[in-house]
Amino acid sequence: MRLTALLSMAARVVIPKDYRFGTNRPWTPAAKRLNPPGKKRRKVFVEPIAPEDWSVLRGDTVEILKGKDKGKHGKVIQVFRHRNWVMLEGLNTHYRYIGKTGDYRGTYIASEAPILLHDVALIDPSDRKPTDVEWKFTEEGERVRVSLRTGRIIPKPIVERRDGIVPQQWKDGLKDTSPEDTLEKTYVPSLKTLEEEVMEKLGIQEKRRPQRSYWY
Amino acid sequence: MFPILGKKKYSPTIKMAASSSAGRVLTLCKQFQNVFRISSSINTQHCSTTLIKYQPRLYREKSPLAALSWYSPASSVGQCRALHTTINRRGLEEFFDLPENWGETNVKSGAPWTAKQLRTKSNEDLHKLWYVLLKEKNLLLTLEQEARRQRVQMPSPERSRKVERSMIRLETVVKERETALRLLQTGQEKARPGAWRRNVFGYVYWYRFKEYAIPWHMNRRYKRKRFFTPKFVQPHIRLRIEKHLREKARKATLEKKTQSKLKEKFPRVKVSAS
Repeated sequence: MRLTALLSMAARVVIPKDYRFGTNRPWTPAAKRLNPPGKKRRKVFVEPIAPEDWSVLRGDTVEILKGKDKGKHGKVIQVFRHRNWVMLEGLNTHYRYIGKTGDYRGTYIASEAPILLHDVALIDPSDRKPTDVEWKFTEEGERVRVSLRTGRIIPKPIVERRDGIVPQQWKDGLKDTSPEDTLEKTYVPSLKTLEEEVMEKLGIQEKRRPQRSYWY
Repeated sequence: MFPILGKKKYSPTIKMAASSSAGRVLTLCKQFQNVFRISSSINTQHCSTTLIKYQPRLYREKSPLAALSWYSPASSVGQCRALHTTINRRGLEEFFDLPENWGETNVKSGAPWTAKQLRTKSNEDLHKLWYVLLKEKNLLLTLEQEARRQRVQMPSPERSRKVERSMIRLETVVKERETALRLLQTGQEKARPGAWRRNVFGYVYWYRFKEYAIPWHMNRRYKRKRFFTPKFVQPHIRLRIEKHLREKARKATLEKKTQSKLKEKFPRVKVSAS
Protein backbone atom coordinates (compact mmCIF):
# COMPACT_ATOMS: atom_id res chain seq x y z
CA MET A 1 0.00 0.00 0.00
CA ARG A 2 2.84 2.35 0.85
CA LEU A 3 4.52 1.77 -2.50
CA THR A 4 1.41 2.68 -4.46
CA ALA A 5 0.93 5.78 -2.32
CA LEU A 6 4.51 6.81 -3.09
CA LEU A 7 4.04 6.22 -6.80
CA SER A 8 0.81 8.19 -6.85
CA MET A 9 2.54 11.01 -4.99
CA ALA A 10 5.22 11.10 -7.65
CA ALA A 11 2.63 11.16 -10.42
CA ARG A 12 0.44 13.85 -8.90
CA VAL A 13 1.65 17.42 -9.13
CA VAL A 14 1.80 19.28 -5.81
CA ILE A 15 0.62 22.89 -6.12
CA PRO A 16 1.89 25.16 -3.29
CA LYS A 17 -0.49 27.65 -1.68
CA ASP A 18 1.09 30.70 -3.33
CA TYR A 19 1.18 29.12 -6.79
CA ARG A 20 0.73 31.63 -9.57
CA PHE A 21 -1.60 30.07 -12.10
CA GLY A 22 -0.95 30.79 -15.75
CA THR A 23 -2.51 29.73 -19.03
CA ASN A 24 -0.70 26.37 -18.93
CA ARG A 25 -1.98 23.53 -16.81
CA PRO A 26 0.30 22.89 -13.78
CA TRP A 27 1.40 19.39 -14.82
CA THR A 28 2.61 20.41 -18.30
CA PRO A 29 6.37 20.94 -18.94
CA ALA A 30 5.73 24.58 -19.94
CA ALA A 31 4.12 25.32 -16.57
CA LYS A 32 6.90 23.47 -14.76
CA ARG A 33 9.45 25.64 -16.55
CA LEU A 34 7.64 28.88 -15.67
CA ASN A 35 6.83 27.86 -12.08
CA PRO A 36 9.68 25.69 -10.77
CA PRO A 37 9.24 24.40 -7.19
CA GLY A 38 11.38 27.01 -5.44
CA LYS A 39 10.13 30.19 -7.08
CA LYS A 40 8.12 32.88 -5.30
CA ARG A 41 6.37 35.58 -7.26
CA ARG A 42 4.36 38.60 -6.21
CA LYS A 43 0.89 37.56 -5.15
CA VAL A 44 -1.98 38.30 -7.55
CA PHE A 45 -5.28 39.19 -5.97
CA VAL A 46 -8.21 37.53 -7.68
CA GLU A 47 -11.69 38.80 -7.08
CA PRO A 48 -13.56 35.98 -5.33
CA ILE A 49 -16.58 35.02 -7.43
CA ALA A 50 -18.82 32.29 -6.03
CA PRO A 51 -19.18 29.24 -8.30
CA GLU A 52 -22.93 29.78 -8.63
CA ASP A 53 -22.44 33.39 -9.76
CA TRP A 54 -20.13 32.54 -12.65
CA SER A 55 -22.08 33.43 -15.80
CA VAL A 56 -19.67 33.04 -18.74
CA LEU A 57 -19.43 29.43 -19.98
CA ARG A 58 -17.24 27.79 -22.56
CA GLY A 59 -18.69 28.27 -26.04
CA ASP A 60 -20.51 31.52 -25.21
CA THR A 61 -20.25 34.54 -27.49
CA VAL A 62 -19.08 37.57 -25.53
CA GLU A 63 -18.10 41.15 -26.32
CA ILE A 64 -14.87 42.73 -25.14
CA LEU A 65 -15.36 45.99 -23.27
CA LYS A 66 -11.78 47.09 -22.72
CA GLY A 67 -8.45 46.60 -24.43
CA LYS A 68 -7.07 46.31 -27.91
CA ASP A 69 -10.06 44.52 -29.43
CA LYS A 70 -12.71 46.62 -27.75
CA GLY A 71 -16.19 46.12 -29.13
CA LYS A 72 -15.44 42.84 -30.88
CA HIS A 73 -17.46 39.66 -30.42
CA GLY A 74 -15.67 36.40 -29.77
CA LYS A 75 -16.33 32.81 -28.74
CA VAL A 76 -14.99 31.61 -25.43
CA ILE A 77 -12.57 28.71 -25.82
CA GLN A 78 -11.21 28.38 -22.29
CA VAL A 79 -12.16 29.59 -18.86
CA PHE A 80 -9.60 29.96 -16.04
CA ARG A 81 -11.50 30.07 -12.79
CA HIS A 82 -8.43 30.52 -10.59
CA ARG A 83 -7.52 33.85 -12.21
CA ASN A 84 -10.98 34.91 -13.45
CA TRP A 85 -9.70 34.75 -17.01
CA VAL A 86 -11.45 34.04 -20.27
CA MET A 87 -9.69 33.02 -23.46
CA LEU A 88 -11.39 34.11 -26.67
CA GLU A 89 -10.81 32.66 -30.09
CA GLY A 90 -8.49 34.82 -32.21
CA LEU A 91 -8.98 38.00 -30.15
CA ASN A 92 -6.61 39.94 -27.92
CA THR A 93 -3.69 38.43 -29.75
CA HIS A 94 0.01 39.16 -29.72
CA TYR A 95 2.44 37.68 -32.19
CA ARG A 96 5.36 35.40 -31.49
CA TYR A 97 7.69 32.92 -33.10
CA ILE A 98 7.25 29.24 -32.34
CA GLY A 99 9.59 26.30 -32.98
CA LYS A 100 12.83 28.22 -33.21
CA THR A 101 15.85 25.96 -33.94
CA GLY A 102 19.41 27.14 -34.49
CA ASP A 103 19.36 29.77 -37.25
CA TYR A 104 15.73 29.26 -38.27
CA ARG A 105 13.60 31.95 -36.66
CA GLY A 106 10.48 29.76 -36.42
CA THR A 107 6.85 30.20 -37.45
CA TYR A 108 5.22 33.56 -36.81
CA ILE A 109 1.89 32.88 -35.13
CA ALA A 110 -0.78 34.87 -33.36
CA SER A 111 -1.31 33.70 -29.79
CA GLU A 112 -4.26 34.85 -27.69
CA ALA A 113 -3.87 36.44 -24.29
CA PRO A 114 -6.44 35.82 -21.57
CA ILE A 115 -8.91 38.58 -20.66
CA LEU A 116 -10.33 39.28 -17.21
CA LEU A 117 -13.95 38.32 -16.72
CA HIS A 118 -14.68 41.91 -15.68
CA ASP A 119 -13.65 43.16 -19.13
CA VAL A 120 -16.10 41.01 -21.09
CA ALA A 121 -19.87 40.93 -21.16
CA LEU A 122 -22.34 38.41 -22.45
CA ILE A 123 -24.23 39.34 -25.59
CA ASP A 124 -28.01 39.49 -25.61
CA PRO A 125 -29.15 37.37 -28.56
CA SER A 126 -32.11 39.65 -29.33
CA ASP A 127 -30.26 42.94 -29.94
CA ARG A 128 -26.64 41.77 -30.00
CA LYS A 129 -25.47 44.23 -27.37
CA PRO A 130 -23.51 43.52 -24.18
CA THR A 131 -25.63 43.04 -21.04
CA ASP A 132 -25.36 42.18 -17.38
CA VAL A 133 -26.61 38.75 -16.57
CA GLU A 134 -28.24 37.19 -13.52
CA TRP A 135 -29.11 33.62 -12.66
CA LYS A 136 -32.79 33.06 -12.22
CA PHE A 137 -35.19 30.14 -12.06
CA THR A 138 -37.81 29.48 -14.74
CA GLU A 139 -41.36 28.24 -14.19
CA GLU A 140 -40.19 24.65 -14.63
CA GLY A 141 -37.46 25.11 -12.04
CA GLU A 142 -34.54 25.30 -14.42
CA ARG A 143 -31.71 27.68 -13.54
CA VAL A 144 -31.05 30.02 -16.47
CA ARG A 145 -29.19 33.23 -17.22
CA VAL A 146 -31.45 36.22 -17.71
CA SER A 147 -30.24 39.49 -19.22
CA LEU A 148 -31.02 42.39 -16.90
CA ARG A 149 -31.71 44.95 -19.63
CA THR A 150 -34.14 43.08 -21.86
CA GLY A 151 -35.13 40.15 -19.66
CA ARG A 152 -34.38 37.59 -22.36
CA ILE A 153 -33.06 34.16 -21.41
CA ILE A 154 -29.56 33.46 -22.68
CA PRO A 155 -29.36 29.76 -23.50
CA LYS A 156 -26.48 27.55 -22.47
CA PRO A 157 -23.97 27.13 -25.31
CA ILE A 158 -23.65 23.74 -26.99
CA VAL A 159 -20.07 22.62 -26.57
CA GLU A 160 -18.48 19.69 -28.35
CA ARG A 161 -17.07 17.05 -26.05
CA ARG A 162 -13.33 16.58 -25.97
CA ASP A 163 -13.60 13.02 -27.23
CA GLY A 164 -15.83 14.10 -30.11
CA ILE A 165 -18.88 12.08 -29.03
CA VAL A 166 -22.30 13.53 -29.79
CA PRO A 167 -24.74 11.90 -27.35
CA GLN A 168 -27.69 12.09 -29.75
CA GLN A 169 -25.82 10.21 -32.47
CA TRP A 170 -24.21 7.57 -30.28
CA LYS A 171 -24.55 3.96 -31.34
CA ASP A 172 -23.86 1.26 -28.77
CA GLY A 173 -20.86 -0.96 -29.36
CA LEU A 174 -20.69 -4.67 -28.63
CA LYS A 175 -19.42 -4.17 -25.12
CA ASP A 176 -21.91 -1.44 -24.23
CA THR A 177 -25.03 -2.11 -22.23
CA SER A 178 -28.22 -0.84 -23.82
CA PRO A 179 -30.05 2.05 -22.13
CA GLU A 180 -33.05 -0.11 -21.18
CA ASP A 181 -30.85 -2.64 -19.41
CA THR A 182 -28.93 0.04 -17.58
CA LEU A 183 -32.00 1.76 -16.23
CA GLU A 184 -33.82 -1.44 -15.38
CA LYS A 185 -34.35 -1.70 -11.64
CA THR A 186 -33.58 -5.14 -10.27
CA TYR A 187 -32.78 -4.23 -6.67
CA VAL A 188 -35.07 -5.71 -4.05
CA PRO A 189 -34.10 -4.51 -0.57
CA SER A 190 -33.65 -7.37 1.86
CA LEU A 191 -31.97 -8.07 5.14
CA LYS A 192 -29.26 -10.16 3.50
CA THR A 193 -25.71 -9.16 2.67
CA LEU A 194 -24.42 -9.53 -0.87
CA GLU A 195 -22.46 -12.63 0.09
CA GLU A 196 -25.46 -14.35 1.64
CA GLU A 197 -27.70 -13.56 -1.29
CA VAL A 198 -25.23 -14.76 -3.86
CA MET A 199 -24.50 -17.92 -1.90
CA GLU A 200 -28.21 -18.65 -1.72
CA LYS A 201 -28.72 -18.10 -5.42
CA LEU A 202 -25.78 -20.29 -6.36
CA GLY A 203 -26.67 -22.94 -3.83
CA ILE A 204 -23.40 -22.74 -1.94
CA GLN A 205 -23.65 -24.04 1.58
CA GLU A 206 -20.89 -23.08 3.95
CA LYS A 207 -20.96 -25.66 6.71
CA ARG A 208 -17.50 -24.86 8.08
CA ARG A 209 -17.20 -22.75 11.17
CA PRO A 210 -14.47 -20.08 11.26
CA GLN A 211 -11.53 -20.79 13.49
CA ARG A 212 -11.21 -18.80 16.67
CA SER A 213 -9.36 -15.54 16.02
CA TYR A 214 -8.54 -12.53 18.16
CA TRP A 215 -8.94 -8.90 17.22
CA TYR A 216 -6.70 -6.38 18.96
CA MET B 1 -35.60 -21.67 -23.82
CA PHE B 2 -32.18 -21.18 -25.38
CA PRO B 3 -32.71 -19.72 -28.82
CA ILE B 4 -29.15 -18.70 -29.61
CA LEU B 5 -26.19 -20.85 -30.62
CA GLY B 6 -23.93 -19.42 -27.95
CA LYS B 7 -25.99 -20.78 -25.12
CA LYS B 8 -26.06 -24.42 -26.24
CA LYS B 9 -22.49 -25.22 -25.37
CA TYR B 10 -22.89 -23.90 -21.85
CA SER B 11 -25.83 -26.03 -20.87
CA PRO B 12 -23.65 -29.11 -20.16
CA THR B 13 -21.56 -27.07 -17.77
CA ILE B 14 -24.63 -25.94 -15.91
CA LYS B 15 -25.71 -29.57 -15.50
CA MET B 16 -22.19 -30.39 -14.34
CA ALA B 17 -22.38 -27.70 -11.76
CA ALA B 18 -25.32 -29.39 -10.14
CA SER B 19 -23.39 -32.62 -9.63
CA SER B 20 -19.83 -31.58 -8.85
CA SER B 21 -18.95 -29.03 -6.28
CA ALA B 22 -15.27 -29.05 -7.24
CA GLY B 23 -15.90 -27.62 -10.63
CA ARG B 24 -18.24 -25.10 -9.14
CA VAL B 25 -15.86 -22.18 -9.27
CA LEU B 26 -15.08 -22.84 -12.93
CA THR B 27 -18.71 -23.14 -13.86
CA LEU B 28 -19.48 -20.01 -11.88
CA CYS B 29 -17.01 -18.08 -14.00
CA LYS B 30 -18.48 -19.58 -17.15
CA GLN B 31 -21.93 -18.55 -16.06
CA PHE B 32 -20.79 -15.01 -15.52
CA GLN B 33 -19.12 -15.07 -18.89
CA ASN B 34 -22.35 -15.88 -20.53
CA VAL B 35 -24.13 -13.39 -18.31
CA PHE B 36 -27.10 -15.61 -17.70
CA ARG B 37 -29.83 -14.74 -15.40
CA ILE B 38 -29.75 -17.28 -12.61
CA SER B 39 -33.46 -16.96 -12.09
CA SER B 40 -34.55 -17.68 -15.63
CA SER B 41 -37.83 -15.95 -15.35
CA ILE B 42 -37.03 -13.55 -18.13
CA ASN B 43 -38.28 -14.34 -21.61
CA THR B 44 -35.16 -14.77 -23.70
CA GLN B 45 -36.83 -14.25 -27.02
CA HIS B 46 -35.83 -10.62 -27.18
CA CYS B 47 -32.26 -11.65 -27.70
CA SER B 48 -31.08 -8.24 -28.82
CA THR B 49 -31.32 -6.93 -25.29
CA THR B 50 -30.92 -9.88 -22.97
CA LEU B 51 -27.80 -11.76 -24.06
CA ILE B 52 -25.35 -8.93 -24.13
CA LYS B 53 -26.11 -7.59 -20.73
CA TYR B 54 -23.91 -6.04 -18.09
CA GLN B 55 -21.16 -5.37 -20.45
CA PRO B 56 -18.23 -3.40 -19.05
CA ARG B 57 -19.32 -0.03 -20.31
CA LEU B 58 -22.52 1.68 -21.19
CA TYR B 59 -23.62 4.85 -22.81
CA ARG B 60 -27.02 6.18 -22.06
CA GLU B 61 -28.63 7.81 -25.03
CA LYS B 62 -30.76 10.84 -24.52
CA SER B 63 -33.46 9.59 -26.89
CA PRO B 64 -34.56 6.01 -26.32
CA LEU B 65 -35.85 5.92 -29.88
CA ALA B 66 -32.35 5.69 -31.34
CA ALA B 67 -31.81 2.23 -32.77
CA LEU B 68 -29.02 -0.06 -31.69
CA SER B 69 -26.61 -0.92 -34.42
CA TRP B 70 -24.14 -3.79 -34.40
CA TYR B 71 -20.46 -3.98 -35.16
CA SER B 72 -20.72 -6.56 -37.91
CA PRO B 73 -23.21 -5.58 -40.59
CA ALA B 74 -23.52 -9.21 -41.61
CA SER B 75 -25.56 -10.23 -38.55
CA SER B 76 -29.32 -10.02 -39.05
CA VAL B 77 -31.63 -8.18 -36.73
CA GLY B 78 -32.99 -11.30 -35.08
CA GLN B 79 -29.59 -12.85 -34.37
CA CYS B 80 -27.22 -11.68 -31.67
CA ARG B 81 -23.49 -11.97 -31.80
CA ALA B 82 -22.32 -13.99 -28.87
CA LEU B 83 -19.07 -13.14 -27.14
CA HIS B 84 -17.30 -16.10 -28.82
CA THR B 85 -18.55 -18.05 -31.73
CA THR B 86 -15.77 -20.65 -31.80
CA ILE B 87 -15.03 -23.35 -29.28
CA ASN B 88 -13.66 -21.91 -26.09
CA ARG B 89 -9.90 -22.47 -26.19
CA ARG B 90 -9.39 -22.55 -22.44
CA GLY B 91 -10.75 -19.01 -22.29
CA LEU B 92 -7.44 -17.34 -23.08
CA GLU B 93 -9.01 -15.35 -25.87
CA GLU B 94 -10.88 -13.46 -23.19
CA PHE B 95 -7.60 -11.74 -22.45
CA PHE B 96 -7.67 -10.21 -25.88
CA ASP B 97 -9.98 -7.80 -27.59
CA LEU B 98 -12.22 -8.69 -30.51
CA PRO B 99 -10.16 -9.51 -33.62
CA GLU B 100 -11.55 -6.50 -35.50
CA ASN B 101 -9.94 -4.18 -32.99
CA TRP B 102 -6.47 -5.65 -33.30
CA GLY B 103 -4.08 -3.05 -34.66
CA GLU B 104 -6.44 -0.10 -34.43
CA THR B 105 -5.33 3.10 -32.75
CA ASN B 106 -8.75 4.22 -31.60
CA VAL B 107 -11.32 1.92 -30.11
CA LYS B 108 -14.53 3.66 -29.19
CA SER B 109 -16.02 2.93 -25.79
CA GLY B 110 -19.05 4.10 -23.90
CA ALA B 111 -19.37 5.88 -20.58
CA PRO B 112 -18.56 4.22 -17.26
CA TRP B 113 -21.28 3.02 -14.88
CA THR B 114 -22.44 5.67 -12.41
CA ALA B 115 -23.15 5.00 -8.76
CA LYS B 116 -26.79 6.06 -9.27
CA GLN B 117 -27.31 3.41 -11.93
CA LEU B 118 -25.50 0.77 -9.90
CA ARG B 119 -27.72 1.39 -6.90
CA THR B 120 -30.76 0.21 -8.87
CA LYS B 121 -29.18 -3.19 -9.51
CA SER B 122 -29.63 -6.27 -7.35
CA ASN B 123 -26.73 -7.85 -5.46
CA GLU B 124 -26.55 -10.74 -7.86
CA ASP B 125 -26.29 -8.41 -10.85
CA LEU B 126 -23.58 -6.41 -9.14
CA HIS B 127 -21.70 -9.63 -8.42
CA LYS B 128 -21.83 -10.56 -12.11
CA LEU B 129 -20.90 -7.09 -13.25
CA TRP B 130 -17.86 -7.09 -11.01
CA TYR B 131 -16.45 -10.11 -12.80
CA VAL B 132 -17.27 -8.70 -16.22
CA LEU B 133 -15.42 -5.52 -15.28
CA LEU B 134 -12.53 -7.52 -13.86
CA LYS B 135 -12.11 -9.45 -17.07
CA GLU B 136 -12.22 -6.24 -19.08
CA LYS B 137 -9.58 -4.78 -16.80
CA ASN B 138 -7.35 -7.82 -17.37
CA LEU B 139 -7.87 -7.44 -21.09
CA LEU B 140 -6.81 -3.80 -20.99
CA LEU B 141 -3.82 -4.54 -18.77
CA THR B 142 -2.54 -7.21 -21.17
CA LEU B 143 -3.05 -4.73 -23.99
CA GLU B 144 -1.12 -2.08 -22.10
CA GLN B 145 1.75 -4.44 -21.33
CA GLU B 146 1.93 -5.64 -24.90
CA ALA B 147 1.92 -2.06 -26.17
CA ARG B 148 4.79 -1.31 -23.80
CA ARG B 149 6.68 -4.30 -25.08
CA GLN B 150 6.17 -3.25 -28.69
CA ARG B 151 7.00 0.36 -27.71
CA VAL B 152 3.74 1.57 -29.17
CA GLN B 153 0.99 3.74 -27.69
CA MET B 154 -1.90 1.84 -26.16
CA PRO B 155 -5.13 2.37 -28.16
CA SER B 156 -7.70 4.38 -26.17
CA PRO B 157 -6.13 4.35 -22.67
CA GLU B 158 -9.21 6.06 -21.23
CA ARG B 159 -10.94 2.66 -21.22
CA SER B 160 -8.85 1.48 -18.25
CA ARG B 161 -9.77 4.59 -16.31
CA LYS B 162 -13.45 4.07 -17.08
CA VAL B 163 -13.33 0.46 -15.92
CA GLU B 164 -11.43 1.46 -12.79
CA ARG B 165 -13.99 4.10 -11.92
CA SER B 166 -16.89 1.71 -12.51
CA MET B 167 -15.31 -0.83 -10.18
CA ILE B 168 -14.70 1.75 -7.48
CA ARG B 169 -18.29 2.92 -7.70
CA LEU B 170 -19.57 -0.64 -7.53
CA GLU B 171 -17.54 -1.24 -4.40
CA THR B 172 -18.89 1.96 -2.88
CA VAL B 173 -22.48 0.86 -3.53
CA VAL B 174 -21.84 -2.56 -1.99
CA LYS B 175 -20.19 -0.98 1.05
CA GLU B 176 -23.14 1.40 1.45
CA ARG B 177 -25.59 -1.50 1.50
CA GLU B 178 -23.44 -3.40 3.97
CA THR B 179 -23.14 -0.36 6.27
CA ALA B 180 -26.90 0.21 6.18
CA LEU B 181 -27.59 -3.39 7.13
CA ARG B 182 -24.99 -3.38 9.87
CA LEU B 183 -26.31 -0.14 11.38
CA LEU B 184 -29.79 -1.55 11.36
CA GLN B 185 -28.91 -4.88 12.92
CA THR B 186 -26.09 -4.02 15.30
CA GLY B 187 -25.76 -0.24 15.46
CA GLN B 188 -22.02 -0.46 14.64
CA GLU B 189 -20.82 2.27 12.29
CA LYS B 190 -17.52 0.67 11.41
CA ALA B 191 -17.08 -2.79 9.95
CA ARG B 192 -13.60 -3.24 11.38
CA PRO B 193 -13.21 -2.99 15.18
CA GLY B 194 -10.89 -0.41 16.67
CA ALA B 195 -10.28 1.88 19.62
CA TRP B 196 -9.02 5.37 20.44
CA ARG B 197 -5.47 4.94 21.73
CA ARG B 198 -2.66 7.23 22.69
CA ASN B 199 0.70 6.54 21.11
CA VAL B 200 4.23 7.17 22.43
CA PHE B 201 4.33 10.68 20.98
CA GLY B 202 1.23 11.87 22.80
CA TYR B 203 -1.17 11.66 19.85
CA VAL B 204 -4.60 10.15 20.31
CA TYR B 205 -5.64 8.29 17.18
CA TRP B 206 -8.07 5.62 16.01
CA TYR B 207 -6.19 2.36 16.22
CA ARG B 208 -7.67 -0.27 13.90
CA PHE B 209 -7.59 -3.80 15.24
CA LYS B 210 -5.85 -6.58 13.39
CA GLU B 211 -6.79 -10.22 13.30
CA TYR B 212 -4.45 -12.60 15.11
CA ALA B 213 -4.47 -16.32 15.79
CA ILE B 214 -3.20 -15.97 19.37
CA PRO B 215 -4.51 -13.76 22.20
CA TRP B 216 -2.70 -10.51 23.02
CA HIS B 217 -1.02 -11.73 26.19
CA MET B 218 0.81 -14.40 24.18
CA ASN B 219 1.85 -12.03 21.39
CA ARG B 220 5.38 -10.80 22.13
CA ARG B 221 5.54 -8.23 19.35
CA TYR B 222 2.21 -6.71 20.36
CA LYS B 223 3.30 -6.42 24.00
CA ARG B 224 6.33 -4.36 22.92
CA LYS B 225 4.02 -1.70 21.43
CA ARG B 226 3.36 1.12 23.86
CA PHE B 227 -0.07 2.66 23.91
CA PHE B 228 0.76 5.23 26.55
CA THR B 229 2.89 8.38 26.65
CA PRO B 230 5.94 8.36 28.97
CA LYS B 231 6.38 11.27 31.34
CA PHE B 232 9.48 12.73 29.68
CA VAL B 233 7.44 13.42 26.51
CA GLN B 234 5.24 16.00 28.30
CA PRO B 235 7.51 19.06 27.69
CA HIS B 236 7.66 18.22 23.98
CA ILE B 237 3.88 18.00 23.84
CA ARG B 238 3.66 21.45 25.39
CA LEU B 239 6.06 22.89 22.82
CA ARG B 240 4.05 21.24 20.07
CA ILE B 241 0.84 22.81 21.33
CA GLU B 242 2.51 26.22 21.45
CA LYS B 243 3.75 25.83 17.89
CA HIS B 244 0.30 24.80 16.72
CA LEU B 245 -1.31 27.84 18.38
CA ARG B 246 1.25 30.17 16.85
CA GLU B 247 0.58 28.74 13.41
CA LYS B 248 -3.15 29.12 13.88
CA ALA B 249 -2.73 32.76 14.94
CA ARG B 250 -0.47 33.41 11.93
CA LYS B 251 -3.01 31.88 9.57
CA ALA B 252 -5.83 33.95 11.07
CA THR B 253 -3.90 37.22 10.68
CA LEU B 254 -2.92 36.32 7.13
CA GLU B 255 -6.54 35.59 6.30
CA LYS B 256 -7.64 38.93 7.78
CA LYS B 257 -4.95 40.81 5.84
CA THR B 258 -5.90 39.18 2.52
CA GLN B 259 -9.59 39.91 3.12
CA SER B 260 -8.89 43.61 3.84
CA LYS B 261 -6.66 43.84 0.75
CA LEU B 262 -9.35 42.20 -1.40
CA LYS B 263 -11.97 44.63 -0.06
CA GLU B 264 -9.66 47.53 -0.89
CA LYS B 265 -8.95 46.27 -4.42
CA PHE B 266 -12.39 45.05 -5.34
CA PRO B 267 -15.12 47.16 -3.78
CA ARG B 268 -17.79 44.57 -4.47
CA VAL B 269 -21.20 46.04 -5.01
CA LYS B 270 -23.70 43.42 -3.87
CA VAL B 271 -26.65 43.27 -6.31
CA SER B 272 -29.71 41.90 -4.55
CA ALA B 273 -31.59 39.24 -6.49
CA SER B 274 -34.85 40.67 -7.74
